[in-house]
Amino acid sequence: MEPERFQETFQRLESEIQKVIVGHAEVIRKVLIAFFAGGHILLEGVPGLGKTLLVKSLSHALGMSFKRIQFTPDLMPSDIVGTEVLTDNNGRREFQFKQGPIFAHVVLADEINRATPKTQSAVLEAMEEKQVTVFGESHVLESPFMVLATQNPIELEGTYPLPEAQLDRFFFKLLVAPPAPDQLREILKRTTGAEVGACTKVLSDDGIQLVNEMKLLLRQVMIAPPIEDYVVRLVHATQPNGEQSGSSNVSVKQFIRFGSSPRGAQSIILGAKGNALAEGRVHVSYEDVENLVADALRHRIILNFQAEAENVSADEILANVMKQVKRN
Amino acid sequence: MASSSHPEERPRPETMVLKLRAQLGNHALWDALLIVFPPVLASLCAVYLLVQGAWVNETVASTVAILALSLGALVITLRYRPRLVKLAQAAQLVDQRAGAKDHFLTLATIDPGNCTEPLLSRLRQDAEELVGRVELKRDFPYKVKPPTYWSAGSSLVVVLLLYLLLPVAASMLHPVSASQRLRELAERMAQAPRLKELAEQLKTLAAKLEDPKIQPQEKQAAVREIEQKVEERQKTEDEKNNRDLLSQAADELKGLEEQQSASGQEQQKNQSQGGGNLQSNLPKEGQGEGKQSQGSGADGPGKLGGQLSQDMQQGKSAQGNPKEPGQDKNQQHQGDTKGNQPDPNRPGKEPNKDRADKGQGGSKDGSGKNQASEEPPQSAPPAERFYQAGEGKDGLKGARYVTVQLPEEVAADTKGEGKTTKEGTGHRGRSQVPVSNVPLPAHVPNAPTEKQPMPLEYRGIIR
Repeated sequence: MEPERFQETFQRLESEIQKVIVGHAEVIRKVLIAFFAGGHILLEGVPGLGKTLLVKSLSHALGMSFKRIQFTPDLMPSDIVGTEVLTDNNGRREFQFKQGPIFAHVVLADEINRATPKTQSAVLEAMEEKQVTVFGESHVLESPFMVLATQNPIELEGTYPLPEAQLDRFFFKLLVAPPAPDQLREILKRTTGAEVGACTKVLSDDGIQLVNEMKLLLRQVMIAPPIEDYVVRLVHATQPNGEQSGSSNVSVKQFIRFGSSPRGAQSIILGAKGNALAEGRVHVSYEDVENLVADALRHRIILNFQAEAENVSADEILANVMKQVKRN
Repeated sequence: MASSSHPEERPRPETMVLKLRAQLGNHALWDALLIVFPPVLASLCAVYLLVQGAWVNETVASTVAILALSLGALVITLRYRPRLVKLAQAAQLVDQRAGAKDHFLTLATIDPGNCTEPLLSRLRQDAEELVGRVELKRDFPYKVKPPTYWSAGSSLVVVLLLYLLLPVAASMLHPVSASQRLRELAERMAQAPRLKELAEQLKTLAAKLEDPKIQPQEKQAAVREIEQKVEERQKTEDEKNNRDLLSQAADELKGLEEQQSASGQEQQKNQSQGGGNLQSNLPKEGQGEGKQSQGSGADGPGKLGGQLSQDMQQGKSAQGNPKEPGQDKNQQHQGDTKGNQPDPNRPGKEPNKDRADKGQGGSKDGSGKNQASEEPPQSAPPAERFYQAGEGKDGLKGARYVTVQLPEEVAADTKGEGKTTKEGTGHRGRSQVPVSNVPLPAHVPNAPTEKQPMPLEYRGIIR
């Protein structure tokens, strides 16, 4: 596949989604990058910011199957992955696997933190292995597969914060900010007028193949060893006991309980590659990396009690880390 | 942005990065050389100056020079190696200059084996479009770093200081004799044909100065003579170089003259500090005729008679003509002596009068006969009865005499318990009243304290 085609498709998808979603250009881009990188997205934002609409629009533009799961405390794992159902097949009764909503190209796990950990963990295998196992039988999920989970940061009563293991499986954690006044004006114009904006399907029927090709191309994007080394140093700097986080970075030692896992570095590099392709380049630059560090690492560093008590956010610590770690 | 060179002439991006790396390496080498070279050169100059000044011998100098060169080479290596630009750094510099997004960095550092060919070609193509924006010589010119200026400046200062101070130090540690300087000057003057004669004279003078047999007065006279000649010649000389040489010679001779006169004084002082000094009022060459003094001789030990000439009474020294040439210093001496001597004719000079009164008082109570005999009558000439046989108002009748200046210890022994008048003079044992025609060095601390008139019984022998 040609890099130009990737860029063109990417930009068309972006523009189609932006027909529906006002603002959030960065979020849309990063969602698309994560999609082509084969990752999952955790969207965090207060209700009403268009998170669900964004995911719907994405699936619609991609022309792929889309399922939405509203996570509630009484949601069971089988409600997600599916279950064996006894069916009558020409007089012969047998168990047949009934697929759950996870079997889709794009899955929206709405308010994922409202489900119990047991249910949440049901999504784990699907996210990582791209397969589910029911009654000892594994069922492979369709490719491409992407989970976009949302969570509300303010209504925390009666919620179950996602375990670290599950958080780590999200490629990016994107923060959906409230719209700016002019964006809000545009939202009102689009949603309260006679004409309601709708996005069209960008990919044709062979879209799946195209997406797979694009995913393959993304992995072929070149990254210079010094930039790779920069990513390594950045991720290593989030470790409170790491060499980089010695006396030079007080905030890491002070506020971080656990640093990022290697998945953080993978996310940064894959995301940077996607960003480079989206910009029409076939190599990663330092800027690509720096642009994605916070999104890739903010949910992967575990803050300690002191950070919570002093209301220090992961983004602040990461900004500090990026100041400390210099380019080569 | 328009590219500055033709696409066919453009170097490959990787080549450009390599070229820049080499260029920056050269810059680093130049930096190291320019910083280290001046101190090394300065040390070599210093060694040369030290050899020139005979401070060190040639072996030491060669060793030091080799050490300096080796140290310089070591410093250059140590400074140059860490400053060698890495490939990635050079590539980043090109990226910055070309406004590229790490195209050159990726091309320069990536392993082509791990890349797909189409993407690598695409990257190279993108980079080649940006190559035109960079011109190595224009965008990465060599700039001399501030430490280079510091190094050069400080090295220059060190060399200049050495150049200026070494001769001074050499002259302080190994002073060149005046005659040697004169000889050197004479040699330089001899090169000028018009000054050849004067140069010869200077050489002769130098030889004379070194001769210990020649008296200082003679040396001084010779110096003065040449000095006068030089000054006369200076007035008539037109050529600048000759004038300079003559002025140097004049300065040198002036200094020599001062030196000679100072040494003459020193010699005189030494003579006066030594054992007995025989002084005479006999006419001598270069001295005026001494005047006869009048006074009474001493009768024995502890009873020294104060011999007093008429001139002395009037506060004058009885030494020869004070205007005698070549005796300037002595004249000064005499003046001092005069100033310190009491002047009985000067009205209102109370301290002198007091001293005289004291002297008389001393004789009254009989505690010190010496005191009484030493103190002459202040207001009137002594009575006739005070004169010895054969002596009169004008001193020894028809006789010439000498006075003997005794060393201090001898004088003290001779005096016995005799009390000397010390008050007012500030000098130990100094007689208040001059007892001879010899000018006393008033300011010399160790000057003889007593001047003893020649006993009458010895006068016949000397006469």
